[in-house]
Amino acid sequence: MQKSGCSNRSARSRLFSILIFRHSNSLVGALFGSLFLRYISPMDTLAKLQILSGAARYDASCSSSGSKHEGSACGIGNTSSSGICHSWSDDGRCISLLKILLSNDCRYDCAYCVNRSSNAVERASFSAREVVDLTLDFYRRNYIEGLFLSSAVMVSPDHTMERMVRVAETLRTEEQFGGYIHMKIIPGSSSELVRKAGLYADRISVNIELPSQASLQRLAPQKHKDAILAPMAMIGREIASSLVERKANHHAPRFAPAGQSTQMIIGASPENDFQILRLSQGLYKKMNLKRVYYSAYVPVSNDSRLPVLAAPPLLREHRLYQADWLLRFYGFSAEEILSDDVPNLDESFDPKSAWALRHPEFFPVEINRADYGTLLRVPGIGVVSAKRIISARRFSAITPEGIKKIGVVMKRAKYFITCSGRSFEKSDRPAALLRQQLLLGESSDPALPTQLVLPGIFS
Amino acid sequence: MNRYLYDGTADGLLSAMAWILEEEPDPEQVALAERKDTLFEDGFFIGTDATQAEALFFRLRKQAPDAAHTLYSFMLAEKEGMESSLLHFLSLAFIHGDKINGHLTHPAVRDIVGVAKKAGRELHRMKGLLRFEKLQEGAYLAKMEPDHNIIHPLAYHFSRRLRAQHWFLYDVRRRTAARWNQGTLQFGTIEQFTAPALSDDEKRVQALWQAFFKTIAIPDRKNPRLQKSNMPMKYWKYLTEKQDD
Repeated sequence: MQKSGCSNRSARSRLFSILIFRHSNSLVGALFGSLFLRYISPMDTLAKLQILSGAARYDASCSSSGSKHEGSACGIGNTSSSGICHSWSDDGRCISLLKILLSNDCRYDCAYCVNRSSNAVERASFSAREVVDLTLDFYRRNYIEGLFLSSAVMVSPDHTMERMVRVAETLRTEEQFGGYIHMKIIPGSSSELVRKAGLYADRISVNIELPSQASLQRLAPQKHKDAILAPMAMIGREIASSLVERKANHHAPRFAPAGQSTQMIIGASPENDFQILRLSQGLYKKMNLKRVYYSAYVPVSNDSRLPVLAAPPLLREHRLYQADWLLRFYGFSAEEILSDDVPNLDESFDPKSAWALRHPEFFPVEINRADYGTLLRVPGIGVVSAKRIISARRFSAITPEGIKKIGVVMKRAKYFITCSGRSFEKSDRPAALLRQQLLLGESSDPALPTQLVLPGIFS
Repeated sequence: MNRYLYDGTADGLLSAMAWILEEEPDPEQVALAERKDTLFEDGFFIGTDATQAEALFFRLRKQAPDAAHTLYSFMLAEKEGMESSLLHFLSLAFIHGDKINGHLTHPAVRDIVGVAKKAGRELHRMKGLLRFEKLQEGAYLAKMEPDHNIIHPLAYHFSRRLRAQHWFLYDVRRRTAARWNQGTLQFGTIEQFTAPALSDDEKRVQALWQAFFKTIAIPDRKNPRLQKSNMPMKYWKYLTEKQDD
């Protein structure tokens, strides 16, 4: 009974889309265009997938969290608020979405990008149907949580965005796909298409690419700050108003329920960490972004406008992520972490330890009395252990043995806390010595300098 | 200190704990263990009563839903020799309610919550790492060998996700299976497993996924250590993307 109802509905929606095609000349053209392409192109899906996933791998985001809904009864897929990793690739990053470009055939010539028009790489474009089939085939086998769709700029921003939106539309309406969809917004595309994208996708994002207008002008002359910030602001407004509407009416449409994010490239332009952090802080506060991703510049070009790097600045990227966490979850401001005098993050310390070393007057913190915000400022105590301390001390005062069992990183925390008045280390230690000892503690962990972690995306 | 014994089943454990919590003035001073029928075993045996077991669980779920969830996850772990800790945890849960999960300086609470967390973590991991293969008749089959007995909650997860599909989950080590077909979920055991034939296009889709898996990694950032710590090698056996290694 249920089954026949399902097939009816999908047949009806297919009929509906045929009617739409009849009435829109541009869509008919596009449909024939993709059919045509399929028949004359010697390239099969496998070859395209290799080109177009290879071209998408520099996008840092693979988060599938922040959205929770059950799909329709007949369709396929749902999303869970915590997000799910389905695999981890050889670089150790989580794979949760089928991350691909619709096309790498780019009209723009951004110096830092593999797909720039002057670069001699093989070009390929998917048809909407190919992307839909790949997504469904992968989803049914539990390879992925959903689709991450980006694209190079073909012909024009609107031309590209329209094709991307059509993929999401087919997945949602024709196939009743309830899994996760993350869509990139092409800067310069019409607000109507951006709005449509937001209605189909769980998360949408506009890449800010570089931390300043000057760098943008130098390295990506066809992209403009305004064309990036305008859709961001619009998306922020739409998300906010959709939330308000849904409070009043549960059936009001969702607009990008998992929020918006952005990404910038680190190390391809001369901005310092302080500028970058202040930019992120502004994006979180003014545009209500869920995440800012930082992507260490991987040399993909010999362009003279770009710096020569022996290796991607992974440690710098790691420190920026740590500082980003301080902004979002630890109550720090960019101005507390860095200043004009010290504009770059210390490579040898995490930013919280560096802050603690500059502020000896704040310490020691008494574990059995300090409030949550104060506990969070202690190096070695994170969000989880701060919460654990608070719930454990409701039963009895925490002893020095107890604090270790709770999961506090004593290697760092021991210099900064007292436990019912007792300190673990001499508290009148000179700053230079403390620095040194913290450093020794850090170096016992050989993984740190090169590790690449996007901390807690799925926590 | 009083010692009690039960028959080794989950129901037996729960009904023994229900009895002790009812009769003993200070359950924290009581030890509980599985009956092994050895010569020097001492202790008072408590028989299994399924209604008592169920009543205990429902009572706990009402008074302390988080603690009930911890108990559920703990049972998935099939851990032996921790009955006394579990008993102490439950007796505390009935006194303090859900707050008890935060009493991590208490040894019994820490042990039970720790084991439950591990089971929960593997359940979450398997939601991502499980791989289905399409069979000739159109159904999908996923094989796994998890450390914890997570087939029930895992099948429930997929019943909400792959609703329109006909699929099977098979726990190879425990020989248990789950089946979802047209809105009904069934569980059973499998005595003899013969590998069914795959559908004609299965190998093609698997090759696409393997290709994607390879190209999505950034070569300049290779980090096999991090990959293994996130995705331990014990799970690779059934991972489509790790079959050609």
